[in-house]
Parts: sequence; C-alpha cells; structure tokens
Amino acid sequence: MSYDDVEIEDMEWNEEIQAYTYPCPCGDLFQITKEDLRLGEEIANCPSCSLYITVIYNMEDFQTDTKKKNNEPKSRQPIAVA
Amino acid sequence: MADEEEEVEQVWSWGAGTDGQLGTAKLEDEHLPQLLSLTSLASISTLACGGAHVIALTSGGKVLSWGRGSSGQLGHGDILNTLLPKPVSFFDDYVITQAAAGWSHSGFVSDSGCLFTCGNGSFGQLGHGDNMSQTSPAKVSYFVNKSVKMVACGMRHSLVLFAENQVCAFGSGKRGQLGFSSDRTKSVNLPCLVSGLEDVEVVRISANGDHSAAISADGHLFSWGRGFCGGPDIQTPQCLPSSLTFREVALGWNHALLLTADGEVFKLGNTLNDQSEKQQRQADSCEALLEKVSGFDGVKVLQIAAGAEHSAAVTESGDVNTWGWGEHGQLGLGNTNDETNPQLVSQGSKDLHTEEIKVYCGSGFTYTVKRKQGLSSSPTSS
Repeated sequence: MSYDDVEIEDMEWNEEIQAYTYPCPCGDLFQITKEDLRLGEEIANCPSCSLYITVIYNMEDFQTDTKKKNNEPKSRQPIAVA
Repeated sequence: MADEEEEVEQVWSWGAGTDGQLGTAKLEDEHLPQLLSLTSLASISTLACGGAHVIALTSGGKVLSWGRGSSGQLGHGDILNTLLPKPVSFFDDYVITQAAAGWSHSGFVSDSGCLFTCGNGSFGQLGHGDNMSQTSPAKVSYFVNKSVKMVACGMRHSLVLFAENQVCAFGSGKRGQLGFSSDRTKSVNLPCLVSGLEDVEVVRISANGDHSAAISADGHLFSWGRGFCGGPDIQTPQCLPSSLTFREVALGWNHALLLTADGEVFKLGNTLNDQSEKQQRQADSCEALLEKVSGFDGVKVLQIAAGAEHSAAVTESGDVNTWGWGEHGQLGLGNTNDETNPQLVSQGSKDLHTEEIKVYCGSGFTYTVKRKQGLSSSPTSS
C-alpha cells in the first residue's frame, strides 16, 4: 500500500542521483526519475525499505524534450560554505 | 577496567543506520541496542535526532553532531556525512542550551537566547530571509534580543518559542504547519507569529513531519498542520478538547504521543503498523480520536519520544518501551517486526536506584542515554 500521495511540486530534484526525491520515514529518500515520469510511472520507491509513495503529476509535462523550460527541475539550492 | 567517566553515562543506539546516524562508525541497520564506546560522549546532557542526523549537547553547552550532512545540517562547514560524533567548532565560544534536528536542518539555542540554524534552507526553514542552505550555523537576526527559549524542527519547517511565550514559525506551510494563515501559505523564509496563541502561556513546542504542536502551562495541547488519520489539514492552532492535563507531546509523521501529568500515554493518529485501521478511518473520514496507549500496567511513564512511524517511552521503573513500525530495527527488539503495543527493550542489566534514562527518536532510529544520578554534573572537563 502506498505510504502517501505526493505532488511532484513537493518533491525535490536531486542532482546527484538524477531523480525527484521525497523524505521516507526510514530516513532515506523516495526516488523517481524523469524517464520514469515520462513513461507514466507513478510509484516512487525507497532504496532502503519496502515503502513507496504515489506521485501525483501531469504526464504531459514530461512528454516533451526535457530541456524545455517548464520541465526544468527546480534548480539546486545554492549552499553557503562558511 | 572501566574508569569513572564511563560508568557515569551510556549512550545506546539502534534502527536505521544508512547515513551513520547510529554513531557506530558503520552504515548498517542495527536491530538491537548498540552501546557506543566513545569517550567523547561521556558528558552528553541531551540529544536531538532528525531525519538521519543526531545533535548532542554536552553538559558544558558544547555541540557534537553526526550522521547525514548532505545539506549542511551537521554544521561542520561541509556537506559530508560523519559516522562518529564530531564537535561543531562554530560553537566553541558559545553555550548551547537546546537543539532540534529536522529532516535536513538543525536549530540551536544559546544561553544568551540567540537562535542559530543550518542545513537545508530550500523552504525557508532556516529563517534567514532567503532559501539558501547553510553548512555552518548562522544566527537568525529576527530573534536578536528576543530571548529564544526553544526551537523545534519538522520536515521542512521550524517553530521557535521566545520572549513572553510567543511562538513563531517559518519554512514550508503547505499543510498548515506554520499556523498563521487560513490560506495555504506555501512557504515563508522569515519568522512570523503563529496565530491564536497570543493569550496562551506556551511552555513547550514540538514539530515533526508536517505537524506542529504546543503545550500550555495549564496542560492544554494545541496542534496544527497536517491532519491526523487522513483528516483535513489544520491551518491555525486548535486546542484539543480534553479534561486531561498534558505535560509532553512528541510528534511523528502521522501520529502524536501525549504524556499526561499522571504519567499516562495517549495518542492521536496512527503509525504505519496500524495502516489498515488508518485506511478504515480515512474512509469514514473520522476526526482523529484521542486514544490511551495500553500496556504500561499502571506503571507511570516519565518520558516519551516519537520517530516518523514509531514510538518510545521510559517508565518510572526505568524500562524503555517501543512500538510502531519496525522495518529497520528501530524498535530495538532484535527483529524487524511492527508492534501495536509497547514492548520492553533489553539493554543489559539495569540498576533501579542509580540510573536515569532518556529516550530519543529520529525518523527511523532510536537512542537512549543512561545516567547514574548524582554523578552526572561533574565539572571535570577533558
């Protein structure tokens, strides 16, 4: 059973693993790639446990060229290093 | 032979260990309590456990942190994981009295009433007026000269209790967890006063997941944010209608534990092991009901803690009990089973007369700090 339903806009783009992520209660991250989304996949799995979430998104947003502006992932947040 | 210092205090950890949050120098889950043999932990006064990181305060007000550091939440000036407790050198010249660990950010209160935050700032949860992340603690200018008493960090938001019992919130407010708007405030990056608590003498605040809560001096619980049991989100603090007097609240991602002045434990919502029940309720769209947690057999509970989907309690007889989701061994019972009712955790021999035990839960892990009373405030510094 799906742990939660999460809108794509509430997920964070993770540059390192090239996936949209959302916190998993185990401490790891639920993950789904743009390719998954393009194919209509709506389940984001956690690599560390049995839980998964259902991602709510508009499939059309991921059909076209990923370079297109409204498909650009939320930019990585700048990090201030002291 | 054990020296005096080691006998004074023991720190145990178990559960999810994928980012080094157990302090065992390994990246493995542990299904049974592990005694950490670290001399640097000898004077721990309190812990704060987050998504996958831990903050420890020493009795002298110094700070250690370890676990996941990918957003700068450890405050070490980098974005590295740290598998063993490491001093946060930024605080060398401060005395830190309280700390909170969120999903990927951290908050610290100094003895002079200042607030410092570091880690993920994408949702404004650091309160600096921008959405930048910080790898070293930075003072939140809004609270300068406002005598901060307490900070609480949720998944993507923060709460601060300060002068004259006022409560501020900042970060993500999508589920109502900021408590100051009837609209769905997406996020704010500067502290704003929480509505409806102006005439309430708030003494404790709590945040986890998308939930927020406060306890008043007269023992009322106020909660706001994501609804429990699939109920609607609550945009401003609501007082729980109950004749009970609440002393402590511990929030998970889908449940709240409440400790009464009489040492009884109640809960709102459900953890993952009760999902079928939760689904049933969702279908009935019932509002969250206050339920007594059974299984303590009349023994008073002294302290409670909640992980994302599990719960822990310390009884007056010095027992640590856990229940809820157990897939990562976070219940410390030697397996990965879920438990509906509190189960006794075994941590070697116990001495009823000399030990004080505190329990702390991160998202998928658990810590206990056992201390021999009367010896803990030794002024000896190493």
